[in-house]
Amino acid sequence: MDRIFKIGVFDEEEKFLSSIKSLQEQNFLIYDVFTPYPIHEVFHLLKRKSRLPTAAYFFGLFGIISTLAFLYYTSVLNWPVVYGGKPFNSFPSFIVVTIILTILTVTIASLALFSYRSKLFPGRENTIFDPRATDDKFVIVVETGAMDITSIEKAGKLMNELGAVEIIEKEFGKVNA
Amino acid sequence: MKEQLTVSRNFKVVTIILICTGVFTFIFGLILQPQLTWANYLIVNYYFLSLAMGGLFFFVIQNISQSGWASGFQRISEAMMSYIPFAAVFFLLLFFGLKDIYSWAHKEIVDIDPLLKHKSVFLNAPFFMIRMVVYFTLWIVFAVKLRKISLKTDLLDSSDASGIMKLFRRTEKYSKVFIFILAITFSLSAFEWIMSIDVRWYSAIFALKNIVAAFLHGVSVLTLIIFILYKIGYFPFLNKYHMHDFARYIFMLSIVWGYFWFAQFMIIWYGNIPEETGYYYLRWQTGWKILFFCEIGLNWALPFMLLLPVKASRSKPVIFVVIVFLIIGQYIDLFVQVVPGITGLSKFGWIEAGLFLGYAGLFALIVANALSKAKIIPVNHPYLEESLEHRF
Repeated sequence: MDRIFKIGVFDEEEKFLSSIKSLQEQNFLIYDVFTPYPIHEVFHLLKRKSRLPTAAYFFGLFGIISTLAFLYYTSVLNWPVVYGGKPFNSFPSFIVVTIILTILTVTIASLALFSYRSKLFPGRENTIFDPRATDDKFVIVVETGAMDITSIEKAGKLMNELGAVEIIEKEFGKVNA
Repeated sequence: MKEQLTVSRNFKVVTIILICTGVFTFIFGLILQPQLTWANYLIVNYYFLSLAMGGLFFFVIQNISQSGWASGFQRISEAMMSYIPFAAVFFLLLFFGLKDIYSWAHKEIVDIDPLLKHKSVFLNAPFFMIRMVVYFTLWIVFAVKLRKISLKTDLLDSSDASGIMKLFRRTEKYSKVFIFILAITFSLSAFEWIMSIDVRWYSAIFALKNIVAAFLHGVSVLTLIIFILYKIGYFPFLNKYHMHDFARYIFMLSIVWGYFWFAQFMIIWYGNIPEETGYYYLRWQTGWKILFFCEIGLNWALPFMLLLPVKASRSKPVIFVVIVFLIIGQYIDLFVQVVPGITGLSKFGWIEAGLFLGYAGLFALIVANALSKAKIIPVNHPYLEESLEHRF
């Protein structure tokens, strides 16, 4: 069965935010939102929690330990070379390399984890609710699911009252978003 | 909430007792151990000057970036700025201790050393004092100017939007000019007052490190003052977002400080040139080595680890602990920079403790006094609303 979505397109951040609040007050199910730039408040309003920072912390820890272990192995155990009269295991000279490689590890690993969790991969086909969602518009997608037809109309009406520039209704067989 | 801070009698008595302790320590110290006393005099003077400069730096940056979130706390940076004229007087008194602190002030040493002779064009007592007067004049002129504009804004009618904006723009203009003057003069002052103790050694990043240290510790003491005032009933609007922003400031600056500290150390360690390594060799002797590691631990590692989680950087106890570490850390930082070149003994005795307490009392009294002279919240600041409702 096709899923029906009510899509509200907004011009301004304030109107967009107040619509999210009113929709939530009336127990409408917000399926997704799209904004041209990150807005912290949306994150709080939708009660989303992210464990990515925690994962990034452990990636960082892994990066530090593995880089230091690698440097120790190469310059002390496997191929010790004296240069500058420094001892083989000279910690200060390892630090710069460690910082850089840790940043690289955290960045790549977090990106990979994020892509995996949100099922992003090359060649994936996205469901496009509204083409302007990737442009300068703020978009709210309301899932109408089990609701009867009058509720769907109510959600559209509410968004219209709160300043949406356009209300669209769309049906999708399979949703990738 | 009361609009204006009243300095309680008890507070005055305590600070005056502390100041008296400082004065007596200074007098007896001068009689018993003049060299050590002058060295500590320089440390505590520079310490509290750097706090005042840090507060000033924070204020100026807030003005330039037009950031509203901290505008409610503007009066605290202004109060910290008001210590600068007092610091000027104490620094000028340093004239009598030049010979005890700086080896370039001795004519007999300069005469036999070609390097010092070469440097003596810049490093000589009269020119040193003239430069000091110039720096302090510039700082005081701008600090007084900014304070005056801020007080003038309070007197305006709150409906007089154009008048308020005019004064606000003027503050911003002065801040823009001042930040350049501050960066240049404060760098030079760090070179002259602290680095010239080890007169044969030099490091280009030294001044940058000291500016960041001043900024870092200025912001942490500013946060501490906010916490204290919040506890006794001011700033009822202080929320977790304000604290998070202050914690971010401390976190960010402590990383920058650690970066510069390590940059200076690693270049010298790697280069291994005798003129440069001499500085660190002295600080790797027994008695100094532990302080040397405490310095990086207290100023960078602990704040970094403690303020890393979001929850911790929004909790008052954690930020408070970090601030205490930083207050000790800045003292150790200056101690390690100043004392090895003068007496070379790493000991913490009654002279160190007495002078620090005396100056702490004086600083607290001056800041409290300056806070009590104006409304504690700048009621006419154009961005005040943003600060009261700050969230992200």
